[in-house]
Amino acid sequence: METKILEIINYIRINKKLEALSEIHPSDNLRNQIGFTSFDLAELTVRIEDEFDIDIFEDGLVSTIGDIFEKLK
Amino acid sequence: MPIFLIDQETVFTYDYLLKDINNAIAYYPMFRTINLYDFFLNFVISLASNKPIVLIDSDLNNSEIEGINEKSVNLAYPIKQVCFSSIEEIVKCIQVSKSEISIYTSGTTGQPKKVVHTVSTLTRYIRVSDRYAEQIWGFAYNPTHMAGVQVFFQAFENINTIVNVFNKNRQQVYDSIDKYGITHISATPTFFRLLLPIEKTYDSIKRVTLGGEKSDNKLYEFILQIFPGAKINNIYASTEAGSLFVANGENFRIPANIIDKIKIKDNELMIHKSLLGKSDSFNFQGEYFFTNDLIEWTNKEEGLFRFVSRKNELINVGGYKVNPLEVESVIQQLPDVIQVMVYGKANSVLGNVLCAEVKLQEFSALSEFSIRQYLSEKLQDFKIPRKIKFVNFISLTRTGKIKRL
Repeated sequence: METKILEIINYIRINKKLEALSEIHPSDNLRNQIGFTSFDLAELTVRIEDEFDIDIFEDGLVSTIGDIFEKLK
Repeated sequence: MPIFLIDQETVFTYDYLLKDINNAIAYYPMFRTINLYDFFLNFVISLASNKPIVLIDSDLNNSEIEGINEKSVNLAYPIKQVCFSSIEEIVKCIQVSKSEISIYTSGTTGQPKKVVHTVSTLTRYIRVSDRYAEQIWGFAYNPTHMAGVQVFFQAFENINTIVNVFNKNRQQVYDSIDKYGITHISATPTFFRLLLPIEKTYDSIKRVTLGGEKSDNKLYEFILQIFPGAKINNIYASTEAGSLFVANGENFRIPANIIDKIKIKDNELMIHKSLLGKSDSFNFQGEYFFTNDLIEWTNKEEGLFRFVSRKNELINVGGYKVNPLEVESVIQQLPDVIQVMVYGKANSVLGNVLCAEVKLQEFSALSEFSIRQYLSEKLQDFKIPRKIKFVNFISLTRTGKIKRL
């Protein structure tokens, strides 16, 4: 699951001309460390929902990579 | 000296602004800039000199708007130097300015359409008095769009402070509220949703105004938890008409002074032309303009209503309205594309996220990445689909529902 999340994040980063990340950590903040805007977060929810069938942002309580892992457990 | 603007830690006082205005010998009728101070300075100079101005986004691509000549963008035009003795004098001067202010709106067909406003249509609901002094505004809209223009006038005419929080991340927004004691924020529901989760409360905020998208009770509860001292209202404004209605909760009220200028036909809100800017693209029936907004009365006698949905196909993406036909026509220009459908998919971050289904020629090498790169040279970021699916046949209707055959 964690590899898939990294893959999705890198897909979004590459589309916005940022380098792919070699690894992600639960403490990484999606906005500050991963560099995501609201549009990127929206794309992230769509792609995760397609893959895992879960809307991670439904209650608005996602700020870090660890929060995503938690939602998908 | 009161502060006019704080942008990325740089502080511009009203005194500084006054000097720049008095020194001006030229302005840009069509100004593309990412610098908010320069944008406002140019805007005020144009209004104070009664000169026309066209508001264009800083990330606008040349091909995106018909009739804009690239050579005229950022081309200075001489003006007569004027010497104002105070900011108050400038405020008085722009309140009666004869400038024509052009704003672009996502049309229902083709490319964005121009709407020409005057200061009086733009400032219809701007309130100016001592009561509004010393407010500190978090500026959370694009300054070239109607909502940004409204916030600017409200703050500027009251000689308030503006703190730029547009396109800032959550931490930067919170830091700005803390550091500068922001008291008022007008923004889209998407902006506030991105302030979640709640970690601490901010007491300086006295007023939260929501606009541009539908909001809901769940969001109000979150906002009140983050900003316990805030009053919340909703505003209905459009590029065509400026601000029209305000609501506490979801019930909008038609103000008494415009009640004879509003009509409801087949549940659609219609606005008398006297409330509108000027445009060649307006769809009138007699003297009334079709807003495409469908409403429902909650108390007809008292003029209370709520918005139900949109009649046309514009997709609201985090407060930006996207015309799917415009995006489709740009994708369609790629030689390998046979058919394309752009639609909005309900999304918990942005309200809707833009998606596309594309049918390609056999053996085409086009990828989602290559289409998005191509679009980034043709369209503003908010108009680029965030998910492009390649299909053998287009199966969806534009609302994202399965097409019934």
